[in-house]
Amino acid sequence: MIDAQGLTRRYGEFTAVDGISFTVDEGEIVGMLGPNGAGKTTTLRMITGFLPPTDGHLTVGGRDLFSDPVAARREVGYLPENVALYPEMRVAEYLRYRAMLEGLPRAKARPRISETVKSCFLEEVENQIIGTLSKGYRQRVGLAAAILHHPSVLVLDEPTVGLDPKQIIAIRELIRELGHRQTLLLSSHILPEVELLCDRVIIIDRGRIVAEGSPRDLQDSWVGNTILRVELKDDPGEAPEVLAAIPGVVDIAFGDTGCYRLECSTSTDPRQSVFEAAKERGWVLLELAREQASLEDIFVRLTTQEPVPSSGRGELGDASQEEVPS
Amino acid sequence: MKGILSVMGRELRAFFFSPLAYIVAALLLVVNGLVFWLIVSYLNDPRAGFGAPLELFFGQTLYFWLVLLFVAPVLTMRLLSEERRSGTIEVLMTAPVTEGQVVVGKYLAALLFYCFLWLPTVAYPALLAYYSEVDWGPVLAGYLGVLGIGALFLSVGLLASSLTKSQLVAAILTFAMLIPLFTFGLLENLFSDAPIRELLSYLNLWQHMEELGKGIVDTRHLVYYLSATVLFVFLSARALESRKWR
Repeated sequence: MIDAQGLTRRYGEFTAVDGISFTVDEGEIVGMLGPNGAGKTTTLRMITGFLPPTDGHLTVGGRDLFSDPVAARREVGYLPENVALYPEMRVAEYLRYRAMLEGLPRAKARPRISETVKSCFLEEVENQIIGTLSKGYRQRVGLAAAILHHPSVLVLDEPTVGLDPKQIIAIRELIRELGHRQTLLLSSHILPEVELLCDRVIIIDRGRIVAEGSPRDLQDSWVGNTILRVELKDDPGEAPEVLAAIPGVVDIAFGDTGCYRLECSTSTDPRQSVFEAAKERGWVLLELAREQASLEDIFVRLTTQEPVPSSGRGELGDASQEEVPS
Repeated sequence: MKGILSVMGRELRAFFFSPLAYIVAALLLVVNGLVFWLIVSYLNDPRAGFGAPLELFFGQTLYFWLVLLFVAPVLTMRLLSEERRSGTIEVLMTAPVTEGQVVVGKYLAALLFYCFLWLPTVAYPALLAYYSEVDWGPVLAGYLGVLGIGALFLSVGLLASSLTKSQLVAAILTFAMLIPLFTFGLLENLFSDAPIRELLSYLNLWQHMEELGKGIVDTRHLVYYLSATVLFVFLSARALESRKWR
């Protein structure tokens, strides 16, 4: 549905997007992930036909964006980052305007608008002036306008930014529902969101794709060693040596008293050995758990130059959960 | 065509919903009414010279021009700059419409609203016709001039609006471009070289209106308004497109 080859965009001297290539197939939900300024918005703007690429080849819905821009734009529905609407218009009026702009015949537009209003839960504000709406409603009006003409590709730039937790849940539900119907490309810097919604993730940093694949694939190929969390009661003194000697354990780190983090090579699963070592010596095993590296870890590792200290992992995960309730 | 119409429709609605448009309408009517009243009472004086009131009304007073120089920036400053400032341009330019359609739609909306502003002044000749004879030819010619010069001024405003995100800057820029456009022709008498005089006379809007008010329709002048308008509208579309290449 989207086919980008060697897509490049320069602003003067600055290269915002640097020769990225990817495809999005029909019916897929793809998330574009990256820190601020990574080139997400620029990439999306090129796909929607707002900005032409400086270099590269781009087709959307089989239409070349360069030679046939108007037809290609018809295939795309777009929700820009800061959902910009005309504050003086009423919701229904705005949707009528957008339907006309998209070239929907009047007879077709009327049922389409009422259908969209319903699916975006906008019935109560249909006749309200857009300027008086809350951010959540505005986001939904933007989304309604983007899907009004049933585009084959839907592009959403940071669809949940600036919403409260309740609104985030509502928008995500809506997005998931839309994902069943059309190809969807969304950008976000919120990892759990992408993990939750997308079939496939493209991580970009400084204008380049640094990793691509399903959340599962990314985990498998980027986690490296598994972390085993062990907590022992009363912290037996000999524990460090014994644990480090277990086959498969590459490295050992200490936490609070009695807490250990064992780094194990991927192919091995030393959980049984740990249990048996504890049983033999009469230690009381309070916790034995394997930590899966989350997309967050991969993301941080790929988009920062410094390696992430392993002790920082848990903290990062917690912080993100506070920030983004799901 | 549909693209032009939908942009134009939205823009017209925005005009009618904005308080600024009504302020402009009120100002235009107050000034025009006052000028009309002054002219009629002047001509009623037996010592006054001969003349048709509407001939004087169209372009013979400084007020006519002051109002026009004020109305054009105010009507056009919002057109494109506000879309860029608020970011709605992004949604607009990802819809299946071209820059040309957007610009023409917006321009036509401004022009229609401008015509709407002048509509009530039709009452003046109607009023005169009730009391005396009115020669309708010069009146129509006068309105043709109002339309032609208005169209030209509005296209300058459109171009200014396409160049900046700020309405204020757009208005000032329009004013800065209209002042030379309007005054160059008035410098005609300062030069003795025939070619320069002729050129300036061709650009002398005041003189154009004077002739039109008398009922003399010179197609060369109409060609000037039309071609300059088309040029400015075209440049606006280019300016809107320029975001792509920066």
